[in-house]
Amino acid sequence: MTNANKHASLEQTTSDIFDGEVGHSFEMLNGLEHDKFVRYALIGDAMRAENEKSICIDITAQVAAALESEPTYNMSHNEQASDIRAEAVNDDVKSNVISLARYKKPLAQFAIAASVCLVALVGVNNNTTQSELNNTLPSLQTMPLTGSVSPVSLSTEQPAIENAAQGLRELQQQRIGALVLEHQRQSRMAYALQQAKQLEEQKKASDVTEEQN
Amino acid sequence: MKKLFIAILCFATSWAQAQEVVSAKQLLTNLAEAVHSRNFDASYVVVKGKAMEPYRWLHGKKDDIEVEFLSLLNGAGLEMVRVGNQVTYFEPQSEPYAIDTDSIAGPIPEVLFKDISVLESHYDFVLGGKGRIAGRAAQLVRIESKDENKYNYWLWVDVESSLLLKAAFVNQTGEMLEQLQLTHLSITEEPVAQLLEIAGRDFPKALPKVTTQAAKDAKDNWRIEWLPKGFELLKSDRHKLDLNNELADYYLFSDGLVDVSVFVQRPLPGKRPSGALTSGATTVYVHNSGRFDVSVVGNIPAMTAKSIAESVTRPL
Repeated sequence: MTNANKHASLEQTTSDIFDGEVGHSFEMLNGLEHDKFVRYALIGDAMRAENEKSICIDITAQVAAALESEPTYNMSHNEQASDIRAEAVNDDVKSNVISLARYKKPLAQFAIAASVCLVALVGVNNNTTQSELNNTLPSLQTMPLTGSVSPVSLSTEQPAIENAAQGLRELQQQRIGALVLEHQRQSRMAYALQQAKQLEEQKKASDVTEEQN
Repeated sequence: MKKLFIAILCFATSWAQAQEVVSAKQLLTNLAEAVHSRNFDASYVVVKGKAMEPYRWLHGKKDDIEVEFLSLLNGAGLEMVRVGNQVTYFEPQSEPYAIDTDSIAGPIPEVLFKDISVLESHYDFVLGGKGRIAGRAAQLVRIESKDENKYNYWLWVDVESSLLLKAAFVNQTGEMLEQLQLTHLSITEEPVAQLLEIAGRDFPKALPKVTTQAAKDAKDNWRIEWLPKGFELLKSDRHKLDLNNELADYYLFSDGLVDVSVFVQRPLPGKRPSGALTSGATTVYVHNSGRFDVSVVGNIPAMTAKSIAESVTRPL
């Protein structure tokens, strides 16, 4: 084997080790340079996004230094200062409650609003309602079951019916999603309500006995 | 001689049964105490059919005030924080809100953190076998429904710490529908640093305690003729649902272990059959009764949900 070949194969092995394609042994590891080992590990981790911490290179100091020396444009020193103050105040106000929640932008996440449970459920729902709907909506069955519809024979009503059926499915799915979410929310209060009710009953009972006495 | 033997045998078995009930209940009581008094850091997964939800659960005591944190780790997430007698819910789709209560309503039924004797009239507590769960010795305790209209709840309790290691909703044929399994549990002398940090935060003010009187009561709008034994009405009102803004007459029932919601709504357009959907132990039964739709949601068998939904009528 030539030197170049040997070198290439070594590189290959290193890469393979980190991709988990070959098992490694101590002899193999000894054959690798330390720097290279670290580099490959880093690449592997980055590719798999396994450990974000390990590739966190701290450049904050440099950035801060760079910002320091950065000239400011279109802004007097006073303005700048007041701006910073305003921001600081804002931060104070915000930090009150949302500090825990990274959910401050609810609308953006509305699409994933449904919790995991919900998604699972709608998944089930998808299948059942589809088949159920197919059974009950004869209009859907007028669709040819095999092959594609040729543009000539395509009735103009077909898409409308399809859309309506689709719309209804979505409506029902949406309703079921809303019901499950509402149930989850309401049942959070259930125990507190039950305790309140029990207390009330106890109070009533003690009132009655007091009256009797 | 034979008679005497039988008499002794009868006495022995009944005595053993009595002992058993006491100790199964004692285990549940110990569990309730342990989840309030110990400092622990646990992880668990809830498995519902093919879906899986991982959670992290921290609990500790800081200056005699309990701090608890439960977080759903997948998806958009969900975080629940309890400091003393207030629980705050952080959900992806809405502003954080707080409720005045001393336990988190997560995947574990709240009654297990409390006095479980309220369940005695409708459930039996039975001791099961011993096993190894999450690397620890565990004792099985079964909360068995006295009738067939409800699921059973099985719990595996850590022999050493009395904490919960595994729990499952089990149907009448012994099939596990939804399982909760601890994957990691560490019990510490001091609460973990994360909890102490959370305890120092500010939280929103709790919602006014019981708003049933303030909201328009819908109790008389519909008659729900049948419910399994033990279920009580906790709340009824008419309100708009959050997700789709649909108006619904809403009823919340509970038997102490499971909660059931009943919704009465205007019917959706089109002819649709009634039917049940399930996810783990949760059943959603949608009943199309012609002029109105009844939906029942809760951890109950589909047949029970169907019976409840079909029993709803207009008041005379």
